Amino acid sequence: MKKISSILLWPILSSEKFAEGVLFGYRRIVLLAFLAATAFLAWQATQIRPDASFVKMIPSDHPYVANYIKYKDDLAGLGNSIRVVVAAKEGDIFSAEFQETLKKVTDELFYIPGVDRSALKSIWTPNVRWTEVTEEGFVGGPVIPAKYDGSEASLEQVRINILRSGQVGILVGNDFRSAMVQVPLFDKHPETGEKLNYQEFSQQLESLVRDKYSNDRIDIHITGFAKIVGDLIEGASEVALFFAVAFVVTMVLLYMYSGSVMGTLVPLMCSFIAVIWQLGLLNLLGYGLDPYSMLVPFLVFAIAVSHGVQIVNTITLESATTGADKVDAARHAFKTIYIPGLTALISDGIGFITLMVIEIQVIQDLAVAASVGVAVIVLTNLMILPLLMSYVGVGRNAIAKAKRSIEKTNSHWHLFSFFSKPFGATVAVTTALGLLVIGLYGSQGLQIGDLDKGAPELRADSRYNLDNNFVTENYSTSSDVFVVMVTTPEEYCSRFETLSLVDRFQFYLQNVPGVQSSISLVDVSERVTAGLNEGNLKWRSVLRNQYVINASLSYVPAGLMNSSCSLLPVIIFLDDHKAETLKAVTASVEAFAAENVSDEIQLHMAAGKAGFEAATNEVIETAQYEMLIWVYTVVSLLCLLTFRSIRTVICIIAPLALTSILCQALMAQFGIGVKVATLPVIALGVGIGVDYGIYIYSKMQTYLQQGHSLSVAYLETLQSTGKSVAFTGLTLAIGVVLWALSPIKFQADMGILLTFMFIWNMLGALILLPAIACLLHPENREVEKKVKA
Amino acid sequence: MLIRAFSARLFIALLFSASVIATANSDRLDTPAISQVSPERMLLISIDRAGSRLVTVGEHGLIIFSDDGGLSWNQADVPVSSMLTSVHFFDNQKGWAVGHDAVILKTDDAGKSWVKVTDGNALNKIRMNAIENALTELAAKEPDNLDALEELEYKFDDAAVALEEGAGTPLLDIHFLNGQIGFAIGAYGQLYRSDDQGLTWQYIGHQLPNPDSLHFNAFFKAKNGDLYLLGEAGLLLKSSDQGSRWLEEDVPYDGSFFSAVESDAIYLMGLRGNVFKKMADGSWENQAFNSTSTINDAVVVQGKAILVGQGGALIRQDRNQFVAMGAQGLRTFTSVAHHGGNLIVVGESGVKRIELEGGR
Repeated sequence: MKKISSILLWPILSSEKFAEGVLFGYRRIVLLAFLAATAFLAWQATQIRPDASFVKMIPSDHPYVANYIKYKDDLAGLGNSIRVVVAAKEGDIFSAEFQETLKKVTDELFYIPGVDRSALKSIWTPNVRWTEVTEEGFVGGPVIPAKYDGSEASLEQVRINILRSGQVGILVGNDFRSAMVQVPLFDKHPETGEKLNYQEFSQQLESLVRDKYSNDRIDIHITGFAKIVGDLIEGASEVALFFAVAFVVTMVLLYMYSGSVMGTLVPLMCSFIAVIWQLGLLNLLGYGLDPYSMLVPFLVFAIAVSHGVQIVNTITLESATTGADKVDAARHAFKTIYIPGLTALISDGIGFITLMVIEIQVIQDLAVAASVGVAVIVLTNLMILPLLMSYVGVGRNAIAKAKRSIEKTNSHWHLFSFFSKPFGATVAVTTALGLLVIGLYGSQGLQIGDLDKGAPELRADSRYNLDNNFVTENYSTSSDVFVVMVTTPEEYCSRFETLSLVDRFQFYLQNVPGVQSSISLVDVSERVTAGLNEGNLKWRSVLRNQYVINASLSYVPAGLMNSSCSLLPVIIFLDDHKAETLKAVTASVEAFAAENVSDEIQLHMAAGKAGFEAATNEVIETAQYEMLIWVYTVVSLLCLLTFRSIRTVICIIAPLALTSILCQALMAQFGIGVKVATLPVIALGVGIGVDYGIYIYSKMQTYLQQGHSLSVAYLETLQSTGKSVAFTGLTLAIGVVLWALSPIKFQADMGILLTFMFIWNMLGALILLPAIACLLHPENREVEKKVKA
Repeated sequence: MLIRAFSARLFIALLFSASVIATANSDRLDTPAISQVSPERMLLISIDRAGSRLVTVGEHGLIIFSDDGGLSWNQADVPVSSMLTSVHFFDNQKGWAVGHDAVILKTDDAGKSWVKVTDGNALNKIRMNAIENALTELAAKEPDNLDALEELEYKFDDAAVALEEGAGTPLLDIHFLNGQIGFAIGAYGQLYRSDDQGLTWQYIGHQLPNPDSLHFNAFFKAKNGDLYLLGEAGLLLKSSDQGSRWLEEDVPYDGSFFSAVESDAIYLMGLRGNVFKKMADGSWENQAFNSTSTINDAVVVQGKAILVGQGGALIRQDRNQFVAMGAQGLRTFTSVAHHGGNLIVVGESGVKRIELEGGR
């Protein structure tokens, strides 16, 4: 054991000497090189661009998504579109002014880059028609008559045409007080190959449509994925403000804590440089900033500050106790902190890297971003920070303050050392076990996936979700769309056998809880067949006669079949996108497919927003345990290598595990599901939380090795690092608690959970760790042995 | 008539393409109807009463019945998944239903369970044989009657195509005159007759004055025993001898008829609010009708007709006028029954129960 660990830890141990030699031997050169690198990376960091992509947010290796990607080109209309609703605040849509606005909005949208113009639809576009059966046969025409002039008579004609077009609830609100423009988008422009710029597109929607046409009589509502992404990018920019607030609050706390101007400014500066490096490196590596990785700079900053605090604290103590000069104090601090600091950072990094097991690109990107950030902290805060401090020192005031606090043996830490004595330890461990039971019980209600309606990424009262509510209330098609792709040999999608099976499938779906309705090519065939037979509902069925079917499909709306007639999407509208709804749907589809699939006709899941959510949920459900196992295994191994004692590992890991379980209970109670945004929280929480344990235990071990009893060693530890651990927990919490104010729901969820985890992990390290140590190491309970050295 | 125009091409095409790719999926004629959680919200086409029980049929082989006047519904066991277009009870136990793929179902327990009597696969054969025999007979008897021969030959071709195609052509209505004799009618001028409670059927569609094989949408029996076949394009046939001989009635209309009702007189309903009344002299007179909805069905309540139809139309007869009974939504009604002071209306969005004022 000793041997293995010394081999494995060799790089860390040996790098200490080397790093110390280089850093303190060539201080100027190192600083200059560092400055140059910082300038370069700062320039790089300014180049970083917001980035959000549909495919990145879904698990690209999941069979559902793989199927979608396979048929993506044929599903164009279903992938990505927005809906713009023009609503009259008073009266209805049958006024000249309203129709004029609707026409202008339709035209405006037509010219926005990225719009698939041929498939754009509103009652003002020629592809929306009415038809009617008369004694002479079929008659029909565009909804807006050619002779439209805004007069009462022509508005009345529009009203009649709308009723005959069957667009009520689709392009016209059920209450006739609003009308919709359906705007399909190109992910990639077919001619230029240019990727849709969501941010730009969303801004154009705001400036060219919403701002221009909404007034005291007209409201504009916009929904759709592109708008969500636009709002996310916009909302995410607000994190810059949070960053500034976190920076200032941290600065104040840091000064209060250290009492040293330099001891405040230098760690802040180094931590800020860590963020710059991280962003610069990400840009160099070709990453952008998506709404998820947008939060990483906060974490990096907070972690960097917490390590900086440890260094400054050690320098101050060293100067105060031994009276060492600036350079020696910094050098000593470097030597003291380097190993536990590096171990802690490595475990942070590995904790983040375990997120890579989740096959969702945004999470993997987050893992990379966070790991890069942590690696950078090793340089900026473990190496450069002591170097800078060796020039500036912490100042006399701080040293004097430290001296004073050492002299009056701090009374409030006695409170905590109570937990390192048998009675206190028993109380603490019993309480922890009680919490564990509560946590396990409370976390039973934990759900997978998003639990709220609308766009769960955004807050329920965000404009987007209000717009979405409006559309859901006034139109008959929900935004929770689940698409099953039916594949056949070429030219076979409209065969009787295919349509008959799909017909049965759709009828079967009516029984599935959570399914509102579904549409496919079958509905077109059935409706047109009835239409060809004078609207008689006795004919609203798939006919066995292939020529009747072909006649019924002479005009098929876009997106219901592909050009080679080998793909037929069934579009299913769901009540919501809760995990149980999605599970019921996927299970039912699977059951039907298993019974009814032949070599020729196959049912594949899934496209549509709800389809991707179902895939994401499945990935997350398995990944959540996988990730927990990885993160705990890796962190435990690392602790085992460092401390070479299983009991120590238990002391450090048990409080973290308790926090993880309590966090799950908290999620269950707050109605926060396990999803893309909250899954990383536990890995981040464990990765960072282990720092406290490592710092405290390594310090305590030093005192134990000196022959102190546990409670004395612990009190000593608290007096030297306890304060900085508490401070670290606070800094980290401040870094993330502000996210709770983010307009983006998942950032807020992450903020709440991370704050909780950071604070509980800190308390766990301060209370539970010594308590467990006390119970596991009875031999250390003895009164003071002879103090060595 | 668009469909007919294809038939020659279809015949050739089908010879080559029929089942190029065989699938493992079973046909809807062999697949029992899926049991639905809320069958009363599905598309329902026709409703009738078996004594005090209400029975209604619709899409995907759906048959549901209610013993409490339409408040709660149970789904019957049905061996097919084809759309059913009509249900008819002769008494409070025996009933029949027809539908797409020319399926004919029968029940002996007031609609609780159903058996398939026959379907298009068998009926198409019967039809082709009947026409073939008639053709042979006519060719022997009247070899010079070229018009009649040509008409029969056309009909024979159509029957052959239909047979090739499988169970194809839908039946649209069924009616039994008594426990024994009944008629099933449908698309392309189909008329079948059974004299044994619907166990076996003969084809007699080719004997009708319907040279263009127009659809028959509905069968109607008047109080005086006259039988009517309501067809496409102004076609109305009448039989006064229990269906042996059928003669064309002269109605001043070219549209299709979907339903008929007899209150103070026989009213015949066509497309888009065209209503014709049978006058004392036997002629049909167009009635003023304040709606453009196509009427799909009607019921007589206390001597007055109540009509239901397209776009939620619900219209009642008031002496010699027809007046709307208030808005009922936009979904089309297909059929109506009267039960204990309520109208039970079915259609696009399932069953709707409408209370009549004062039980009227």
